[in-house]
Amino acid sequence: MDCSEAREHLCDLNRGRLEADAAEAVRAHMGQCADCAALLQVEVRIRALIRAQAPRYTAPPTLKARVQDLLAESASPKESVTHGAAAGTHGAAVGTRRTAGRPRWRDVFRGHTWTVGSLVSAVAVLLVVWAGWLWLARDPVSLLADRAVAEHVEYVKGTMTRPVADPPAVMREVKGQVGFAFEPIFPGDSQVQLVAGMVTDLRGKPAATFVYRDGSGRYTTLFLMPEAGIVIPDEGRMPIETFKPYHRVTSGRQLLLWKQRNLACLLVSDLDQAGMASMFLKIRKTA
Amino acid sequence: MENPRTPLPAEALSHLDALYNLARWLVRDVVEAEDLVQETYLRAVRAAHQFQPGTNLRAWLFQILRNTFFTQYKRKGREPETLDPEVLDGMPHTSGTVSVDNRMAGPLDGTAGLDLTAALNRLPEEYRSVVLLADLEDFSMGEIAAILECPVGTVKSRLFRARGILKQLLRDYVE
Repeated sequence: MDCSEAREHLCDLNRGRLEADAAEAVRAHMGQCADCAALLQVEVRIRALIRAQAPRYTAPPTLKARVQDLLAESASPKESVTHGAAAGTHGAAVGTRRTAGRPRWRDVFRGHTWTVGSLVSAVAVLLVVWAGWLWLARDPVSLLADRAVAEHVEYVKGTMTRPVADPPAVMREVKGQVGFAFEPIFPGDSQVQLVAGMVTDLRGKPAATFVYRDGSGRYTTLFLMPEAGIVIPDEGRMPIETFKPYHRVTSGRQLLLWKQRNLACLLVSDLDQAGMASMFLKIRKTA
Repeated sequence: MENPRTPLPAEALSHLDALYNLARWLVRDVVEAEDLVQETYLRAVRAAHQFQPGTNLRAWLFQILRNTFFTQYKRKGREPETLDPEVLDGMPHTSGTVSVDNRMAGPLDGTAGLDLTAALNRLPEEYRSVVLLADLEDFSMGEIAAILECPVGTVKSRLFRARGILKQLLRDYVE
């Protein structure tokens, strides 16, 4: 067996999916080839790291309910052409919310599918328009806060527990990707460590994003983004020493928003209000 | 006129979390991932008559999700930025160790502390999908080849190259 053949089998060997003869042949090659043996170690370590630490996202309950509805509908014994065509039309519009029909409602009107289909479509359109109007009527800061908290919650679900080895290197990496400059940020201390740095998208704005974790496993996420287009409300300011960032609580998370050197800074945290204030000072005074 | 529709096996719902997980890794957005998964199930429901009972439903659903992603996002240029797959595909295999071409060395330098999530997100979608399907979902090389609709050799090659890139991006973790 040569190196090329051996490397083809690295993944299967690591997962115990090789036939005994093939596995023995690969191992024999490894015993004679240090390069391939080193590659096997890379395979083993990276796979183990990914399986242990890569975040696994779980479907939100709302999505599960929608899929359940969809499957329940498909499991109905027979569907009218009208209904099937409507599903096809909806299916073409990825990026918009869809609501699957509920079988028990349809059963009530069985035999009147054309009328029911029209009625359901009309109600659906009205609901979508109404929901859209409510959504658009919300203030931009609320929308930003909702999105930031949703992102933060996803990070918390992940398994980012290890402090990054070199915070300045992570900052440089993020700075190189995000497309705007920012001053060095709080690198962490003995109480709270930087566990991740990445670029995210907050409502169309690229954001340099840094995730911190304290000794109790509580996370705080800092988003930095260009300030253009972000108006910070005068109401709801929270005095913290000489600073007055905008403060609110969204979905149980503390949130602070302020501007600093042409950037909007958004902090979302699992901490209580006092803990959040302390974290804010660490970040605010670093830059 | 009636349209006899073949229902999806009830087992389909049990793959929801896994599908959503891959969707999140592909589009990196909560709302778009939900839409991608819902669209996947919608397409699966419509194509349920094409599914052969007794074959691999899980792989079939992943194939639909990946195709949906490809048609709805990638072809429209909506995929989040990653390393350039064409540059990666043009990279020669080195004889001794896995290496990343110097043309890409710029953004990869100084990434010692780069987070695992960020490192995976740096991989081109073709590479990231192979890694996630192999490592998180435990699909075989053959199943991944079916999902991605490419030869098994291509899957192995992409996985091998992805390992090399991840080794560099995560060198503090794996060395």
